[in-house]
Amino acid sequence: MKVKVCMGSNCTLLGAMNLLDQIESLRELIEENSLEYKDEELEIESIKCLGYCKTTDANIAPVVIVDEDVIFNATGQIVMEKIMDKMRI
Amino acid sequence: MKESYVDLINIRRKVFVEIAKMAYEDTDLNELEKAAYNIIPGEVAKYRENIFRERAVVEERLRLTMGLNVRSMSEFTRVTEGIDEVNVDETKFIPDLVNVITFACEACPTRALKVTDNCRKCLAHPCTNVCPVNAVSIGKDRAIIDQDKCIKCGRCKEACPYSAIVEYQRPCAAVCGVNAIESDHLGRAKINQEKCVSCGRCIIQCPFGAIADKSQIYQLVKALKTKKNMYAMIAPSFIGQFGALTTPEQIVEGIKRLGFKDVVEVSLGADITTLHEAKEFLQKVPNEIPFMGTSCCNSWALMVKNKFPEQYEYISDSASPMVETAKYIKKNDPDAIITFIGPCISKKLEALREDVKDFVHFVITFEELMGMFVAKNIELSEIEISKEIQDASTLGRGYSVAGGVAEAVKKTAQLLDPSREINVESASNLADCVKLMFQAKAGRKNGYLLEGMACPGGCIAGPGTLASTTRVKKAVEEFKNKAPFKTPLDNELIDEELKK
Repeated sequence: MKVKVCMGSNCTLLGAMNLLDQIESLRELIEENSLEYKDEELEIESIKCLGYCKTTDANIAPVVIVDEDVIFNATGQIVMEKIMDKMRI
Repeated sequence: MKESYVDLINIRRKVFVEIAKMAYEDTDLNELEKAAYNIIPGEVAKYRENIFRERAVVEERLRLTMGLNVRSMSEFTRVTEGIDEVNVDETKFIPDLVNVITFACEACPTRALKVTDNCRKCLAHPCTNVCPVNAVSIGKDRAIIDQDKCIKCGRCKEACPYSAIVEYQRPCAAVCGVNAIESDHLGRAKINQEKCVSCGRCIIQCPFGAIADKSQIYQLVKALKTKKNMYAMIAPSFIGQFGALTTPEQIVEGIKRLGFKDVVEVSLGADITTLHEAKEFLQKVPNEIPFMGTSCCNSWALMVKNKFPEQYEYISDSASPMVETAKYIKKNDPDAIITFIGPCISKKLEALREDVKDFVHFVITFEELMGMFVAKNIELSEIEISKEIQDASTLGRGYSVAGGVAEAVKKTAQLLDPSREINVESASNLADCVKLMFQAKAGRKNGYLLEGMACPGGCIAGPGTLASTTRVKKAVEEFKNKAPFKTPLDNELIDEELKK
């Protein structure tokens, strides 16, 4: 499973590093109860600005991509739930 | 920074972007009347009970970011009231630095011990048995604490087997190490400015975002547009603050793209401060003064000045790394206009001091700088730059982590005089700093080098940061190891005279 966190200026301003910290903290949770989760690596990558926010006037930062799913206005609770749901057996 | 206060952090930062944009784009300041609608769009409240209050609070934040005072809610005042005074290209400080936005404050009750519904009215009821003032009795549903009698010792809380008793405290007052948070006539937080040392912890701790400091970004951007000799110096904790992919070199280059002529590491000033303090310690302790306190944290120094006036002279006379770096820049360019960029809001006050104001002209935080990057559409991680930063030693770069200052001074002092044994002790929050000073005052720290820092963990936990302390600590460690010099004594940028 692959999670990408946008590290563009807008996303960094609005908490992308905190999202990254939160997502990385899930690894520990999963490791502690490894039997309840798929034997799949949680791959986390910081990525450069994808330019989504430059194409719209709407506020969409921060952006997180979980597998192919692009999440705008990403919050910790939404992203973490999505990852945990996908990782759970 | 309290990372989990996501909405509050975002509002605060959006305000910085808005004001920086207005400055860069030379927007008519009457537009400030509309700015709150950009930050809180739509017609449905998202954060508070109604959108009008949300916008009103944002308007006060806009004013504070412009450098203006919070308005009184009892009379009609425009958002732009007094704007001409701050529509300038130099620092315009209107006291006070740290302000309560009164109508954002929820007037949280003050400290008390409370019984929650975890209470099972147990037979043993140790809560009543351990109370030294007989304030706890067993009521119909649960234990009751007589608040008039209670002396808040917390013994009932410790004794309860069900964790049914909690100690309740206003978050702002709980983190204030100098007891500067009082209440106004409506029970709202009020800052006793005589006691406040502007560490800024209440600002990041208030869950309603009711406390904010003033900013200088508007005036700074104006100066960047009109003046040529603008220099920036960036505090040692800048590493890792501006995105997980951004390198220190990209940060420096990004700052130059904002309009600065050059950027210098404050770690260079830290090296100079280290040399001064090491020599001062060797010379004065224990013959002239019984112990010596470090001088780099302004809030710590202010706390000692306020609470321990007799011991204030034991704080090192050496100028802080901010001031030493500014002096270094000034030496090479006497017309330099210098901006300090750091995690700290207390430096905003230090820069106003008589002996500092000719060297440091603007002070902004990392958060405010990030607002400027976004306002100017600068993508830091995409900047191409190969030039390395080589201003400071490993020890200088370690200043931002608690213990780093004392370590640098101790190691350097021992290099200067290997025969000396030096004891150090550090405290890194104001309450602990106060305790440490009480011990020192009582003579229990004689011969010591005392390092005081107001933020827990050191400057990396400052109120103006963007990244978590664990993230920055790791990044600082890496950057330390890349330093071109090991100790201040090896730093080629520093005058040889100072190293003797």
